[in-house]
This record gives sequence, structure tokens and C-alpha cells, in this order.
Amino acid sequence: MSGKVMVVDDSAMSRRTLRRILESANYEVIEADDGMAALEKYFLEKPDLVMLDMLMKGMYGLEVLAKLREMNKDARVVIVSADIQNSTREMAKEAGALDFINKPFAAESVLNIVTRILSEETRPNGIDREAE
Amino acid sequence: MVLTERQNDALTELINIAFARTGAALSELTGHRVLLDSPSVALHLASELDKSLSRFVPGEVAWIHQVFHGPVAGDALLLLNYEGAVHLTELLTDESNDSNRLDESAREVLTEVGNILLNACLGVFGNVLHVHVGFSVPRLRLDTIKDLIAWLNRGRGELRYALVVFTRFQIKESQVNGYLVLVLNMDAFDRLVKEIDEWIEENNGRQNINS
Repeated sequence: MSGKVMVVDDSAMSRRTLRRILESANYEVIEADDGMAALEKYFLEKPDLVMLDMLMKGMYGLEVLAKLREMNKDARVVIVSADIQNSTREMAKEAGALDFINKPFAAESVLNIVTRILSEETRPNGIDREAE
Repeated sequence: MVLTERQNDALTELINIAFARTGAALSELTGHRVLLDSPSVALHLASELDKSLSRFVPGEVAWIHQVFHGPVAGDALLLLNYEGAVHLTELLTDESNDSNRLDESAREVLTEVGNILLNACLGVFGNVLHVHVGFSVPRLRLDTIKDLIAWLNRGRGELRYALVVFTRFQIKESQVNGYLVLVLNMDAFDRLVKEIDEWIEENNGRQNINS
């Protein structure tokens, strides 16, 4: 499986961990450490999938998600967050996120979700599964 | 503010559940089994927090702060003894820290760990009590307990309560002492108690609230 994945997180630790996991499965990884950088890189690099943190300095993840969807209504975004609340998962779903991964994440779970989403030809209708 | 015995039992149970989730998150992060002491819970006026926190080690502590908002709003803090914080970053980075100081990289790691642990804990509150809790970006500070309390109460004329939960995480034969402190104003505390009462009602069919 190949594809370009953009990891958006203000935590270098989380970016490093996701990069390691994704590169182990031969995905190309680009990084952004805040929302503005993410929007710029999305425009320039056109990644196949965005893995987006919820809680970042400057612009919150759901704001970034809304702007990505304005740029591309079919933007594929997975939320990666420490927030374990069901209500947060619902908010992400309503905002158009395709899935939701809780931190700390397991490599297998991350790769399963990324592989599934990138293998789908058309965009499914948001999160429809329980937590991994 | 005095909680009834049932409210106190329910709050303790809620914290047990939340800390079990927090311990699980810490175990996943470090890749090691985490042994968790049963958390002890105390309620203080925020201005008298030093009574509870004075049990903590003297000198600097590492603390991660997040403001939480929603129906129940306030300040959430995770305090770690300095030595424990250094050890935790060693476990997370697989690198030995001979200087025993928290450099920029270690602080960044610790901030993210605090974010995950505070979310794991308060997220349980949100899920169990059916209230949504929003969070601010986490911030790490290194201070003495005295400076921490002064900072927490700066410019605050209102009466605020501090729910202090103390526990010890034992990871890979090393001990990390941790406090979770939730500081709530009267309105938020009343709301928390109301949500706890509703949770007790929900569980009325199963009156055995285990500790």
C-alpha cells in the first residue's frame, strides 16, 4: 500500500511515533506542527490522508478540519486525540472525520485504519465504528 | 462543602475508574506494566491546598496544567515528583538521562504525556457523567509547590474548591509519585455534585458501589 500521509500535531513525540509507524508500512509522511502549517502543506503537497490532532496551539483540530473540507470537500481526515469522550468522537464525526484514534495508539490499529481508508475509492460517511 | 457518604463513595468510584484508565494509558505509553496505588481523595479550599500538597516532595515538581471547560469547568493539574518525571521521560524515549534534568526535549515529551493522562482521567468524568469536557492546550511548568499554589490562586477572589487525588505509579521498579488536582469554583462544584447525584440515581438498581 502506498500513499502520502500528513501528520498534524504540535507534539513532536506524537509526530515522531506516527512517522515511524507509517514509514514502516512504506507510507510517505509529511508533518505539520500547527493548523496554519497544515493548511499550507495540504495545499502544496496534496496528501492522500491527514492525521489530525484535536488540541493544538493556535487553531484547534476541528477548525483545521473545517478549513480542509472547504479546500477539498473530499479531504480524508482521521482525528488522533487523547480525548476519550464519546461526545468528542461524535463531534469529530459530525465534522466529517473518517475515523478517530485515541492516544496512546497502537501501531497495528493506526495501520489498519490508514490502510482501510486509503484503499477505499470513495469517501465513506464518517466515523461509524466504536473505539479501537 | 460537605459531601454525603453516598456522594463521597460515588466520587471515589469515579476517580478509581478514571485512574484505572489513566494507568492503562501510562502502561500503553511506556510499554511496561503499571502498578497503581489506590488513589486517596481529599477536598480542600483552593487557598488551603498546601495542607494536602505538603505531603509531596520538597523542591521542584513537574506539573502539567490544562484548563477544562463545559458544564463543569476549572483547572486540571497533574503533578509529578521531579525524579519521577525524569524517569518517566527515560522510559518513554528509551534514553538514559544522566544529567537528571528535564531538557527541552524531555519537557515536550512530558507535556504530551500530561495531556494524555489528564484527558484519560477527565474523559472518564465526561463519559460517565454525560457532560462534555473541552480542554485547553497543555502547559508544563517546573516550580515548587508554594509557587504552584500562588500561581493557581493569582487574582482569584472567588471561593474555589480543590479536589486532590494522590496516587503512586510504579513502573519498572521505579516509583513516580503523582497528584491530580482539579480546581473548581462553587458553580462548577455544585454542577459536579449534581451530575454525581444523577449518576447515583442511574446506578440505583445496583446499589453496590465498589471501591
